[in-house]
Amino acid sequence: MDKFIVNIIHRPEMVPEYAEKVTGHGKEENIGRKSLLTESLDIFKFQQETAHKNGLKTTIQMTYASLFNEEAISIAKEHHEKYGDEIALSLLGLPCEEFREKYKTKDFCIWMFSMEDKKSIVDDVFGKFHDIFGFYPESTGSYYMDAELVNYIKEKYPMVKCAVATCWEEGPKAYHTCNNSWYTLMDGGPWNPWIPSKQNIHAPAANEAEDSGIVAIPHLSRDLLACYDGNGSNFGTHPQNVLRGMIYDTKTWEFPYLYNLIDQYRDLEKYNNGYAYNMMFVGPGWLNKMGRWEAPYELLKKSYEDGMAYYGQLKKEGKLTDMTMAEFADYFRQKKTYTEPECALWRDILYGSDKQLFWYCDPYMRACINMNQGGAIVDLRPYAAKLKWEVGIGTPHVQDASYPFLIQEKYRAGYFTHYAGEGTVRSAKLTYNGEEVDLCLCRTHAKFSEEVIENGKKKRILTLEPVDIEFYDLTVKLQTRVIFTEGSSDIEMERTVLSMSNPDAVVDLNEYIVACYGTTEYPEDMTSLTLTCKGKGEEKKIDYAYKCREAEIEGADSVEAVIPPIETKVSMRTSDEKATGYIREGYAFSPMFTLGYKMTLKDKEVVSTWLKLEKAN
Amino acid sequence: MAQAGKGKLNFRCPSCFMRDLDIDMFYDKDKKEYYCMRCQYVGTEEDVLEKNEMVRFRYKDMYKRFTKFDFD
Repeated sequence: MDKFIVNIIHRPEMVPEYAEKVTGHGKEENIGRKSLLTESLDIFKFQQETAHKNGLKTTIQMTYASLFNEEAISIAKEHHEKYGDEIALSLLGLPCEEFREKYKTKDFCIWMFSMEDKKSIVDDVFGKFHDIFGFYPESTGSYYMDAELVNYIKEKYPMVKCAVATCWEEGPKAYHTCNNSWYTLMDGGPWNPWIPSKQNIHAPAANEAEDSGIVAIPHLSRDLLACYDGNGSNFGTHPQNVLRGMIYDTKTWEFPYLYNLIDQYRDLEKYNNGYAYNMMFVGPGWLNKMGRWEAPYELLKKSYEDGMAYYGQLKKEGKLTDMTMAEFADYFRQKKTYTEPECALWRDILYGSDKQLFWYCDPYMRACINMNQGGAIVDLRPYAAKLKWEVGIGTPHVQDASYPFLIQEKYRAGYFTHYAGEGTVRSAKLTYNGEEVDLCLCRTHAKFSEEVIENGKKKRILTLEPVDIEFYDLTVKLQTRVIFTEGSSDIEMERTVLSMSNPDAVVDLNEYIVACYGTTEYPEDMTSLTLTCKGKGEEKKIDYAYKCREAEIEGADSVEAVIPPIETKVSMRTSDEKATGYIREGYAFSPMFTLGYKMTLKDKEVVSTWLKLEKAN
Repeated sequence: MAQAGKGKLNFRCPSCFMRDLDIDMFYDKDKKEYYCMRCQYVGTEEDVLEKNEMVRFRYKDMYKRFTKFDFD
């Protein structure tokens, strides 16, 4: 059953991104330059030849511009016949003289157009594709495809079954890296293929009614630690991205990191029922003859050849299956159920830190557990809300396509803040005789396991290595398990006291979440939020007004926050019936809210706390 | 003094790269140096290449080939 699948995608982009801007420096803009068109086609031919030389089939994503080029069309037809390559249609690569003349704009990202233009462009390119090839494509894509766009395509062209729909954690960090001039703001999505919902492309469908009808694949397979922290465009299955990150030996031109990245993706089959996936999609602009940044063309070429040769070698060894996008969509539909999550226990393979993260994605959430912070949740996206978030001109989000977070340790601090206030995180604190230790300071590792529950569903369990919490005159050995139950929107955190140096000691445990909402580094208006502490026959409520208020109930049934701007309700409950639930409002310098439970813990005791995500209408 | 242009490769500013910014530098042929428009870095090609080696300090495992991805 173990299967590692790769999708190799090429696009004949007649005016490659970057090429006109970078290699055309010092010349007047002219996207019809013959030399540019010839070079672009040469790059496409080189890419195709390299894949085929290594026994790999590709998906040729024709661009709008290439539909006006006889040679590109003829190559696609020939390679479809000869190698079984799929002829698909990309919504990237729109720019060309014909497009600019017709749409009177230099915009080129399909998701940023108005809905009216999106429909018109889709009909235009799909129609032209049909005129040329005599059929409609089964696969399409862009860097990002909003749900409304996919819904339209699926309605008009129901044969489309696969699309490149987002680029993992390409958001404010990528924008920043490009000196705030590259507007791909699309954080918060899955890193591996998924079946998107009709409501929001990032959020997987929970059932047939929500199913958008396509299988979405990410643009590239990206490093789940390095991309979360730094510039995503340095750390993906894109050999030239690795050169961009300067992750190569300048003397030998070797870059073991790329192979480590591919191999770690292969290793993810352990957490996903024997299935692993990779996607490589290099635009021609990355292979231009003038070189790219510090890398001369020879190095660009070598890196592409080496990367492809590695996939080819894996295929020869029987460790890889190459598929076209449409073939993959069929395979994925047959293999994956709606509720089966995507899991990734991921280690640092570049910086030597031994850090380990666990990424979890299902129709209700995307969560990141950080073992370097004692198993704290450091990123949380409430997919349960299936937030309708239209993007493009004429909507409230012209460029911002990210799925909002409740927790994001890079944009809203995490455990560490500067002198005042709190950052977003889900963790716990232990106190004893006036000393306090947050589990965020306990560096550890975890193991993954599964437990079958009912109807073929499973629990995914992350068991952390025990940590020692040292107080002045007491040491507590504590173990954490993080449990995700398939089909539920709960995250259970179970704490077990394995031993105490003084078995009669009693410590205080404070299970908490500090959260807010947003898609960028900057704070949002919190005044519409409400916090509620619910007890038996008693309820305490705070309407958020930055007044630093707090309320608590002993033996509370739940503590809750409703966040209307993202239609989300987040709540907590605990197994300790005597625990005191509390809610805490933030203030202007700390625009957060806190939900939590305070309880006591003795030797050998076990206590669980559940965090739940729901749609708030 | 003539206008600056692109060098033989479009080197990025090593100082900005350290703070996750990709900024192409321009080449001043009179002074034979690259310069950054965003920050104050200036340097010869030799200096740029030397600093580019330096920025790799954070990639401690850059030369390592992993065969195992979980921890015992």
